[in-house]
Formats: sequence, C-alpha cells, structure tokens
Amino acid sequence: MAAKTVLDPRRRVSVITTVQTRLLPEGMASAMRYLALFLILVLGAISLFPLYWAIITSFKHPQDVATVPPSFVLTRPVLKNYIDLIQGTGVANAPVVRWFWNSVFTGMASTLGVVLLASLAGYSFARKQFPGRDKIFWIIISTMLVPAWSTIIAIYVLTLRMGLHDTYWALILPGLASPFALFLFRQFAMTLPEELFQAARIDGAHELQLWWLITLPLSKPVLATLAIFTFVTHWNDFLWPLLVLNKPQIYTMPVGVSIIMYQIQGAGPSYGISMSAAILMSVLPIVAFLLMQRQMIQGITVGSLKG
Amino acid sequence: MDSVDRIGSDWGPAMFPWQRLKFSTSDKLWGYLLIAPFMAFFVVFFILPYGMVIWLSFVDWHPRGVTEYVGWQNYIDVIEMPSARKAMVNSFYYALMVVPASTVLSLVTAILIVSLRSSTLRGFFQATFYLPGVISGLAIAIIWRFVFDFHVGVLNFVLSLVNLEPVNWLGNVYTALPSLAGMDVVSSNGMAIIIFCAALLSIPTSLYDAAAVDGAGFWRKHWSITLPLLTPALLYVIVVLTLGALQVFVPVFVLTRGGPVHSTTTVGYYIYKQLIFYANAGTAAAAGLLLLVATVGFTIMQFRRFSQVVEF
Repeated sequence: MAAKTVLDPRRRVSVITTVQTRLLPEGMASAMRYLALFLILVLGAISLFPLYWAIITSFKHPQDVATVPPSFVLTRPVLKNYIDLIQGTGVANAPVVRWFWNSVFTGMASTLGVVLLASLAGYSFARKQFPGRDKIFWIIISTMLVPAWSTIIAIYVLTLRMGLHDTYWALILPGLASPFALFLFRQFAMTLPEELFQAARIDGAHELQLWWLITLPLSKPVLATLAIFTFVTHWNDFLWPLLVLNKPQIYTMPVGVSIIMYQIQGAGPSYGISMSAAILMSVLPIVAFLLMQRQMIQGITVGSLKG
Repeated sequence: MDSVDRIGSDWGPAMFPWQRLKFSTSDKLWGYLLIAPFMAFFVVFFILPYGMVIWLSFVDWHPRGVTEYVGWQNYIDVIEMPSARKAMVNSFYYALMVVPASTVLSLVTAILIVSLRSSTLRGFFQATFYLPGVISGLAIAIIWRFVFDFHVGVLNFVLSLVNLEPVNWLGNVYTALPSLAGMDVVSSNGMAIIIFCAALLSIPTSLYDAAAVDGAGFWRKHWSITLPLLTPALLYVIVVLTLGALQVFVPVFVLTRGGPVHSTTTVGYYIYKQLIFYANAGTAAAAGLLLLVATVGFTIMQFRRFSQVVEF
C-alpha cells in the first residue's frame, strides 16, 4: 500500500525541514505564520488555563479562594490547603498519607510485574519461532480495541469470588498482562540484530541468559519508558480501584480524593482543598512527562502509524 | 515483520542445525515457556472474562447466594428500562458532541503547529498541548468543577464580563451534558494533536512539488495529497475518540453523578450504578455487551468506509 511507504519514519528526517511551508499558501506565508503562532498561543492558553488556575488556587489562603471577581494572580502563597488535605481536616476517616503509600506501593509492584512479563513474552514473540505465534500475538493486541466496560464487570465478579476485593492483589493482578507493554517491547526486540543472539548461543548461553544478558541491557530505554508509562497509568487509574475497594485503609489516592470531594462538596472555600488534591495527584505524572517527553510522544504514535 | 517472513522463506544455506528446521524443538519449547507467565494472566483476566460476561448477562447474580438462569431477561430490562435507554441516548449524544469537535479542533491545532518554522517550537507546543492529557481524568474533573461553579466559577465570571446572565452549567438539564462534552473537548486533545502532527510531518514534500509542476493550486494540493495521506491518522483518531466518548464515566461521577434528572447518566455510569448500588451484575453485563457490540460495530464500519478512500 502506498501509504505505508510514505509514512516510513526513516524518511521523515529529510522531509521535516520544508513541509511546513507547503501547508500554507505561498506568498502570504510569513504573515500567515505569525497568525498561526498567535492562534496556537490562544489555544494553548485555553488548554493550560484550568491547570494554572488549579495551581494558584491550591496555594491561596482559604479566604481568598472563592472570590468574586476571581483573582488570577497569587498574592500571598500559603500551604494551608495542602496541610488541611493531608491531615484530613473536616473529613471523617481520611488517612491521606496511607492512600498515598497504597498508590505508590501497588504502582511499583504492578510496574515491576508488567515489565517482567512483557519483556519475557515480548522477547519470545519477537525472536522465537513456534506454531501459532503470530495468531496469539494479534489476538492479544486486538483486545486493546475492546471497551473496558464490557469485561470489567466480569473481572469484578471474578476477583470478588477469588476473595481479592479490598486487598492489594485486586489492584495488581488484573493488570499484569498488559497488551500495550507487550506490543511496545516486542516491536523493540524485533529490531535487535540476530547476530548478537547467534554469537551468544555459540558461546553456550541458554534462553534465559539471552533474555537477561542481551535483550534487557539493550532495551534499557524502552524499559524505562514502559516502566514510567505503566506507573503513571496505574497512578491515574480511578475506575477499577473505585469498584474493588471499600475500606478507607486500602483506598488508593484517587479513590480517597473522590471520597473527600464527595464529603466537602459545594462549599466555596473548600475548593482550595479540592485543587490541592488535584495538584497533588498530578505532580507525579507531570514530572514523569517532563522527563520522558520524547519517548512518551513517540509511544502515542507507535500504534497509529506503524501498526 | 522481517522475523515473521523468515519462517519458511529461503534464507540461503543453513549454517546451524536449528535453522534447517521450520520450528526447532528447543525454539518451540522456550518460545512457549517464555510467554507462559504472560499468557496465564492474559487468559485469566482477559479471555476468561469474555466468557464470564456472556454467562453473567443470562443470569440473575447475587454477591452472596444463588445465581439463577433468567434467559434474555437482562437484555429485555436494559432495552425496556427508561433509565437504561436514556443512558444509551446520552452516551450517543455525548459522542456526537465530542468526537467531531475534538477531531476538528485538534486537526486545526496540528496544522498550526506544523506550519511553525522552528522545530524546537513545534516540539514545545506539542508538549504543551499534551500536558493536560497526562493528568488523571479525576484531577481534570475536580478542577473543572471549580471552573463550572455557579457563584465563583471562571466561566460565569467571563459571562459577567460581557453582561450575560450566569448559567448553572452542571445543574441544568439542558446544559449539563454539553458542559461535560465541552470539558472533554478542551482538555483531552493531546493524543490527537500529536498523531496529526506526526502524520502531517511525514507527508513527503516531493508530492507537493510534483503537484505544483502539474499546475495544482493550494486547495487542490490539500484535497488530493494532504487529506488522503491523513486518512489513516484521521481514522485512528476518530475510532479512539469514539471509544473513549462512549465509555465516559469519570467526569459524570465527579461532576454530576448522572443528574440532574438522569440528564447525564451515560452507559458507563449506568453500568456502575447497576453493579455497585444495586449489585445487579447481570443487567450490568448485558449493558456492557450491548456497548461492546455498538463500539465494535462502529469501528468495523469506520474501517470499511475509510478503506475505500485509502486505497490508491
């Protein structure tokens, strides 16, 4: 298919330098470019405004939070909202620090498991030959396109019957076999040169050593991306923990925060606490994004263009 | 896919014994052994649930107690209950509001970004627009509850600047669902923008040059080159956005809890209520399967329609 060759990423380098001029009519190009820059700035401001608004509100003194007209600058920053949130002021039974730990611990356990399983299986799908290999692989990948709601009910009933509700296991086990992680790792493992593996085989390495000593060290960048992706996804996950957790002690951060939101709902100054909760949950993903920008952005296009 | 083609294709004389066989025994054994841990979890938490959800949709399920076979009753309930029907209509409207608006807005943004000359600036703006997308939907929804607030929200402040009456965005039957959709359109464009940027940047300029030689004008070039080459990206974005929009749950849960008067009860929220509030997994499963059929049907339809355009 023509589109396949056109979208070949290797050819992009030579193309990038001139393409931008072709999207605009010639002649008026430079005036148009300033207009384009202006429009982007406006759109960017709109899309980032809520985040900015939340950040400054979270540092405002509770008296300054709900004012008419709203003030868009921070005059006297205080940490009162964050302290109130962490101490669970005005909310019954809110061990916020414990929630934070629950999220971190299950996130790390999940990440470790996902990376381990996906790298083992991804290595096998990329480098081994066995009957039914590609069929199995595409069945796994095709589950990514199915809406989560259709099977989540069954997984809920399944984990309930297994007695996993209100335990860490319920948060970790169902997500361990991640099709996305498998896809990403397999695509990468396929690009490794076969000669390396053959040389190691001649030196008497067995398969686990090929995986541990050759594949994993060479795939450090993709493993790091995968780990951060997985952790952030887990950290942000809200629906699944909401379904399976009922005891405040075991809540993850998002579930706990949603309960706080429900209890303090409505009152003006309490928006300060809401915003600090939103920011507290967002710090980690934002830092991860700033660290891994390039890889994350590549990760998004991997499924759409090369698939 | 080169390693796929190697099976059975002629790669010259075999240098090692294991290359001579199509599948060497050790390759087969290790191959299966290495995927075994992944497959174990995949079967239990991905394959088994498909069977279970079909079974659940035909039974009356109780968390503690007997489950009894009820035939098509769950499906009949879902189709005949006004609240379930309302949920399906709401989800449909929601997708109808979000998908076209999001697609157009992110395509326009991507075209603007790509037309910038400096690649640093392009990267910067791609990151800027993607940033809200890394934050959890829960945090976004919490922030927007403040933006939508009747008394102290920013939206009503903006309206007051131009002397308009304040709107009770989330408390009004007519504005609640469009408000949720508007929030979605503004806050989750990052993925689509990045995909469109990558697709636009990968169109080779030689095509435009050839078209210019043939005397094609500005619009003609975009109609005959940009648009067709953008089709795969467009298809992907539309499918992903539609899947997301039809499943929407978190904004509903945080901002409106399905109200006022069921005006924002989506299929996702309906399933949640059936499963958690009424412990009615049977009805939830039936609704989930109907959603599955609808989305898979939509996806296949889109691929069919676009595949006629893409072949050239």
